[in-house]
Amino acid sequence: MKSRSRTVLLRSLALHAVIVPLALLWLLPIWMMIVFASMEDSAIFSAEVQLWPGDRFIENFHELQAELDFVRTIVVSVVVAVIYTAASVVLTSMAGWALARYRFHGRGLVVSIILGTMTLPYFVVVIPQFIMVARDFGLSNTWIALIVPPLFNSLGVLFMRQAFTMMPADLFDAARIDGVSEWQIFRHVALPLARPMLAALSIILFLHSWNNYLWPLLISNDRSMMTAPVALGSLFGLLDVSWGGVMVGSVLLTAPMLVVFIFMQRFFMAGITAGAVK
Amino acid sequence: MGSVSLEGVSKSFGAIKVIHGADLDIQDGEFVVFVGPSGCGKSTLLRMIAGLESISHGSLRIGDRLVTDVEPGDRGISMVFQSYALYPHMDVTENLSFGLRMNGNKAADTSERVRGAASVLQLDSLLARLPKQLSGGQRQRVAIGRSIVRKPQVFLFDEPLSNLDAELRVQMRVEIARLHHELGATMIYVTHDQTEAMTLADRIVVLRAGHIEQVGTPLALYTDPDNQFVAGFIGSPRMNFLTGEARGHVDGRQAVVLSGQGDAVVEVALSQPLPSGTPVSLGLRPEHAQVGSPGPGTFTTTIDVVEYLGATSYLYSGTTTKEPLIVARQGVHTDRAGDQVVVGVPPDKAILFAADGTRLR
Amino acid sequence: MRQRTQTAYGFLSPYLLIFAIFWLWPIIHSFYLSFLSTRRQPWSFNPGMTWGRLTQDPAFYNALWNTLKILAIQVPVMLTLATLLAVLLNSTLLRARGLIRFAFFAPVVIGEAAYAAVFRLMFNDEFGIVNKTLEGIGLDAVSWFSNPTAAMSLIIIAVTWRWVGYNAIIILSGLQSIPQDVYEAATLDRVSPRQQFLYITLPLLKPVIVFCLVLSVIGSMQLFAEPYLITNLGGPGGATETLGLYLYKQAFLNLNFGYASAIAYTIAALAVSISILNLWLGRERS
Repeated sequence: MKSRSRTVLLRSLALHAVIVPLALLWLLPIWMMIVFASMEDSAIFSAEVQLWPGDRFIENFHELQAELDFVRTIVVSVVVAVIYTAASVVLTSMAGWALARYRFHGRGLVVSIILGTMTLPYFVVVIPQFIMVARDFGLSNTWIALIVPPLFNSLGVLFMRQAFTMMPADLFDAARIDGVSEWQIFRHVALPLARPMLAALSIILFLHSWNNYLWPLLISNDRSMMTAPVALGSLFGLLDVSWGGVMVGSVLLTAPMLVVFIFMQRFFMAGITAGAVK
Repeated sequence: MGSVSLEGVSKSFGAIKVIHGADLDIQDGEFVVFVGPSGCGKSTLLRMIAGLESISHGSLRIGDRLVTDVEPGDRGISMVFQSYALYPHMDVTENLSFGLRMNGNKAADTSERVRGAASVLQLDSLLARLPKQLSGGQRQRVAIGRSIVRKPQVFLFDEPLSNLDAELRVQMRVEIARLHHELGATMIYVTHDQTEAMTLADRIVVLRAGHIEQVGTPLALYTDPDNQFVAGFIGSPRMNFLTGEARGHVDGRQAVVLSGQGDAVVEVALSQPLPSGTPVSLGLRPEHAQVGSPGPGTFTTTIDVVEYLGATSYLYSGTTTKEPLIVARQGVHTDRAGDQVVVGVPPDKAILFAADGTRLR
Repeated sequence: MRQRTQTAYGFLSPYLLIFAIFWLWPIIHSFYLSFLSTRRQPWSFNPGMTWGRLTQDPAFYNALWNTLKILAIQVPVMLTLATLLAVLLNSTLLRARGLIRFAFFAPVVIGEAAYAAVFRLMFNDEFGIVNKTLEGIGLDAVSWFSNPTAAMSLIIIAVTWRWVGYNAIIILSGLQSIPQDVYEAATLDRVSPRQQFLYITLPLLKPVIVFCLVLSVIGSMQLFAEPYLITNLGGPGGATETLGLYLYKQAFLNLNFGYASAIAYTIAALAVSISILNLWLGRERS
């Protein structure tokens, strides 16, 4: 027994000797984000290594705000992400419900479309999407253009299909016997039961929209309709830019997501692993 | 009113036929039980009556209405599921009233009906609880309550008691019988439990592989089965089948030589004589086999295992042969494995089956 | 289950409508575009200017080569790391699990713009913490943004940092779905932990790892934001220009939609064929 507990202890020590430094290394960029965001540019670009946050966060924020009205871009990002998430949850849970719970002609085709688009690079659709939305419809710099085209989402459908498939079929049959309509079954039985899954999906979709870069980059070039990541990225190439300010932007983009991640880790993990389960 | 009639009802999934042209007439107020081995189609048939599975061919009438293609909610039926199928996010009241509320039933009438069902099933004190706060038996009563509030013409039960422990099962069985008596409604009940079938049913429908094998009262199925399958399926422990060969036929009695049991000869009542040498199977229920002294129509066998159940003992012999035999013995005995016993076949209790399983009368 | 085709399409229609407008039509349209010369109006049918050009465009080959390099190096490194990480996180010996999960999983929620900015500063040639650390331990500073190899390494480091946790989460869920009694039985059969990992864990994890592999391949084929944001549109001198970035430049800077569509279909063909290859390698023995 004694020798066994000693090997366990040694293995535990070895394990931690590897993983703890690696974890700290992984945390470094996040930490440095905070450090940079609270320092003057002269301190960021100085010969000394700075590892501790300074006190210039507010000043840096003002510089960022002066450069591109960052608050406005955050508002755009929030509005887009909220509406996108709500709309996408509705669309994907309805579609997932149909695929999980009905037998119908063309079911196999719909499923293969969804699986197929999952492996199809977005580049194949982005060019005509852009031509259609920006040129043909002239919808650049509009809410519709930012929100609607990305709504098609295969992961959400697969996730909700899985959620509804795992529910006992008897529940829905019992409601049918009670003369409840299919829409009411979906609305009053299936959706309330799927609440944890809906939460997980919402988090993933919100994150997806919040961090989306390519489509907003293409479709909104007007400062008033730029999302925050695009606005932030637009500063990188400039010669005379406040990097402390840019880092404040990074912190403001990242912090809310980290908070959501910390408090809703369970939902978050469920959302990510959704695609892995068949 | 609450009569149900099936005419040539069948179901197939693609090329696979799971129900083969079922014909069945159920009277208003009758309690009918579907039994059969798992996979026989008894649940499918019930779900077809409910409208949860479509009917590929044939017609279904409930009352005097043709409902073959009618939605489940419009058939005037209700159903109790094996899993209870209670909505986990609704309390008992909401569970009972959900269907009525969704169909725009008047609130006053709804709560009236809920109260009525709750008092019939003694659920009054549980109305505010969620399903997860209820015991298995309570959940089952809520499920039954939910079917009562619909005031259906026909109640359907899909193995409603198989998730309960033995004691509760007996209790709920009695309760369902009482309910049938009080409501006087038609009930169709699927089970694999023979005791439930025998005790509850006015008539039992035995199914096998999508075919109705026999329909009859519990007693008729027990004493006068139409074929070897029904004979073997009804009764526990199951009927013994002894291989034999027809010999002479005298005075409406057919002599059968039991080739597997030392060529004992039994004379069984049979109207049509069989040609000598016809292979037959002699059915003998364990409780009809008699342990006694040697004589005509008896044979000797060695006991392999004895199960003492108190009032009854079961003697098993030939357990490793093609022809196992179970003998039930009433009263307290001291039989032991390895003992030799003489088993007598009472001719008026034995029944004969042809090689293809059909009954020979 | 009754057949309910009408009801089903009622539920599916909003989703399918979005699909038809924003995916199905563009997929067809971009295939058509890939045969058009779109350099000047009016657009005309001229595959020589798109597919023909593709075969002899050194910039395209450079982007293809860069993408394949990233694919060949980054994906295996990241998946190995993710598998080890998942196994460590699944170990009962691990303490401070919350912190370690946070460290590796947090990058997953960080957007490209935010992390690109901090990587630019950390890897700054002159003042960045990375170079100063290298100098501090007696090594030479690396010109992360002007040396082609170093710039490529930087992209690989950044992508690995961002995505390893994501893959580890998926692999971890695969690990946790392996029933514990398999290991208990193996222990009773005197199978060592190392053998258990090699002969039980890895084979059972194979489908999950293949799934991650397919996702990573598709992701790498579409790599765009990192070289766009970190190494200034694929610098130095195109050393980190990926297929995705090259397509972006052709389509949205040069507005040469036809040629860009041909590149898009090339990316799709590559992604699909590599995915199929992966799935074939990872197929279940029947």
